[in-house]
Amino acid sequence: MAAGKAKRGSRGRRRGRRTGFIIAFLAPTLIAFCVFYLYPIVTVFATSFCKWDYTNIANPEFFGWDRMWENYDYIFNTYPFFWEALRNSTLWAILGAAVQIPVATLIALALSRKVKGIRIVRNIYIIPNMISTAAMGVIFLQLYNPSYGIVNPVIRLFKKDFVDNILLLRGPAFIAMTCAYIFFTGTTTLMILGNIMAIPEEVREAAMLDGASGLRQDWHITVPMIKGTLRTVSILAATSGFLLYNEVYFLTKGAAGTYSISYVIRELAITSPRTQFGRANAVAVIQILAGMIIIVALHLLYSISPKRKRKWSK
Amino acid sequence: MRNRGKKKQGKGVQSMPAGTRIVTYLCLLWALLVALVPLVWLVISSLKKDPLARPGFQLPETICLDGYISTFRDLHVLRYFGNSLFIAGVSVVISVVMISMSAYVVARMEFRGKGLVSTLLYSTMFIPATALTYPVYNLVNRLHLYDTRGALILIYSCSGIAVSFFVIKNYYDNIPRDLEEAARIDGCGYAQTWARVIFPIARPGIMTAAVLAFLNNWNEYYWASLVMITREKLTVPALLSTFTTAFNTNYNGLFSAMVIIILPPIVLYCLFSKFFIEALSGGAVKG
Repeated sequence: MAAGKAKRGSRGRRRGRRTGFIIAFLAPTLIAFCVFYLYPIVTVFATSFCKWDYTNIANPEFFGWDRMWENYDYIFNTYPFFWEALRNSTLWAILGAAVQIPVATLIALALSRKVKGIRIVRNIYIIPNMISTAAMGVIFLQLYNPSYGIVNPVIRLFKKDFVDNILLLRGPAFIAMTCAYIFFTGTTTLMILGNIMAIPEEVREAAMLDGASGLRQDWHITVPMIKGTLRTVSILAATSGFLLYNEVYFLTKGAAGTYSISYVIRELAITSPRTQFGRANAVAVIQILAGMIIIVALHLLYSISPKRKRKWSK
Repeated sequence: MRNRGKKKQGKGVQSMPAGTRIVTYLCLLWALLVALVPLVWLVISSLKKDPLARPGFQLPETICLDGYISTFRDLHVLRYFGNSLFIAGVSVVISVVMISMSAYVVARMEFRGKGLVSTLLYSTMFIPATALTYPVYNLVNRLHLYDTRGALILIYSCSGIAVSFFVIKNYYDNIPRDLEEAARIDGCGYAQTWARVIFPIARPGIMTAAVLAFLNNWNEYYWASLVMITREKLTVPALLSTFTTAFNTNYNGLFSAMVIIILPPIVLYCLFSKFFIEALSGGAVKG
């Protein structure tokens, strides 16, 4: 009886020690999560319904239930750059999934084949992704320079008297900015390549016996097998396209219709002389919601496609 | 094993249909062009005395190294490398130790709320950091960290949790559990088992996470330009935003400084390419 009690006691103590260990080891990360993610997100949501700008920096003031959408109303109807920014960011998100992922997949498939010198190509292709996007922005700013860059001479082959700076032309500026980052898919390619290499050799051999080789094998066997990874990297590419900031800052500073949502947030909250924290946070709420929409949309998109593919192959 | 590899290689090239072969070579060519054109142009331009006089891909008449010399002498680029090294290094140590602790608990122990913890940590990958601009900026100010290295160390230690967590937890999952049981029988407590047995074994995985995090911190521009203002304290990416005005029309100096600034991450990559490639490809591609 007594022995049983003692045993239970020590087991309880051990369980206590175990719980203590779990809490102690999780605590630092969870605190970091709360400091950098949870607390800011809660603040962003709460203060997007507050009057909070350079006149009352210390104490945000709730608008009241009847006027709580005031900041959103301003952003949607008065602020001149919001719709332009939302359109651009959405386009960059779509281009991320629609251009970067096919390009990355094609290159990953090419890199998965056994061709001489493949490792060198692979290692070189990743280099631009190792450099900060800020530095790539400055490099592209030079490439686009009308007097010593290499883009204007190319344009002049088709249009002899072209002397403008393409970053100042509405339309071309958007394209130029997109080209400054969209083709650098090194890390994405590597994630896809990793998944391709993890496909068991037997699967490929079976496909070969069925007469599927090369691109047909890739399309019918490899691509469906790496769909999970493709979905993840699509979400990452679309999200980072939606968040674009560095390229905008270094190339145009929002000129010629190239505002992005991140640029708007930073301008409202920090850069502008009349800072509007509440309104910046309203834009931030929209950015967070848009991020969720991107995730849901791509999940849906990737769950529809196999049925369609099956139809095609029949 | 080696033989098999060779056989596979032969099969790969020869059995490829002609169309596939052409597409493959086009893709590889494209990959090389995309990666090399901007960088090669940058290096060539940095060697020209006056890039305006010989624009584009024209080779320099004489090789001019003035820009490189002045990058070290007048720009004091080493100071900014030092800043970046210090800030990125300290925050990597903090975050990697922290995350290797929590990843261990999640990988090995059952407890209530485990699913929630891992969901929260994974979700950080999809939380748009720029949306948090003002709250984080405000927090840094209220902690009186504005314009100090501490601000960036705080931000970098707390951000990028998801990737490190993913990499380190994956590595723990591959370590056999017998080791811990043996340590437990030898009388090690939980914390001791982790510190003495698991941490050393998991070092390659932790190292991978550290190299990835270091590169991210080294290259980070958004927060670096937000919470730092004194020129002497800037990190390398934040220094870039002063370039276009600082160099005015000294293009030779601008190009040379750019080459020097992009060099450390490339060197780091060359040294640790194995880690990068294995980490990003989930271990399936050998570096």
